[in-house]
Amino acid sequence: MKNLIKAGTLIGALLVLVMSTSQPAFGQNPRLKINNLEKLSSKAAEVVDVTLDESMLKLASKFLAAERDEAEARELIKDLKGVYVKSFEFDKEGEYSQEDVEAIRSQLTAPGWTKVVGVRSKHDGDVAEVYLMTESNTRNILGLAIIAADPETLTVVNIIGPIDVDKLSALEGKMGIPRLDLEKGKASKKPAASHDEKK
Amino acid sequence: MKDLENDLRKALERREPPAGFAERVLAQLELAPTPKPGWREALISLVRVPSLRWATAGVVACLLLTLGALHYRRVQLERAAGEAAKAQVMQALRIASKKLNVTWRKVQEADRRPPRT
Repeated sequence: MKNLIKAGTLIGALLVLVMSTSQPAFGQNPRLKINNLEKLSSKAAEVVDVTLDESMLKLASKFLAAERDEAEARELIKDLKGVYVKSFEFDKEGEYSQEDVEAIRSQLTAPGWTKVVGVRSKHDGDVAEVYLMTESNTRNILGLAIIAADPETLTVVNIIGPIDVDKLSALEGKMGIPRLDLEKGKASKKPAASHDEKK
Repeated sequence: MKDLENDLRKALERREPPAGFAERVLAQLELAPTPKPGWREALISLVRVPSLRWATAGVVACLLLTLGALHYRRVQLERAAGEAAKAQVMQALRIASKKLNVTWRKVQEADRRPPRT
């Protein structure tokens, strides 16, 4: 009987060890629940809903050409486990509520998530927040979340996996979007910065 | 030595079979069950029949065409799914990149703004 208890304890300890080493982010899940936003689709004038799991990303990468922006996109999604985007454009203000945004934001208070940048303008009602989930021991990026909202638009981006934020940011201007005149280096040197604009 | 040679010659000398031996062997052969032809032999025998030769060729051609069409359809469906996934990836990355840069810009704008007194 004693041997049985000893063996059980040993197996339990081994299981804990295996789980803690093979899954350093055990308990850290970068996947956000954004389905609560689906109710906004009926109110929105324009909806972008992208749901790509790992198998779809792998399929897509087969069809991404080896040239220019598509090659960069392929490199970016190489190790990703999922890409989820919900973006709504409304004809008038007040079509989404702060509770809708808060439902997403509350998930980003979970362990592992860090707000890299956050801007809130009480005057314009603009919100722009970037969060990163990092592995606690290695600091590897496990996921990215972006909440961008103004009174007439709401966008939530959730990327699962090791994403290169600099490369993602640099894609702008290469995929048919006019490049903004930014000093990204300066901004990226300010991790965990949070700006609350109060006018 | 001579005796041995005589014995051998006697033992090996030509003898005629008993009467009716050949008829009895042939009768036994007719009675023996014929082995069933395998599927390969059956298929080949079909082709050997002139009236069935063209029909067999037609069936084989139809089979090949059906298999080819199914394969083509599967490739087309996979291509469509892949192209749709690719478009989604590009759209998602475009939005993510744009929103990231908008956020950086807003941070910079906030930094440049003179502090409130």
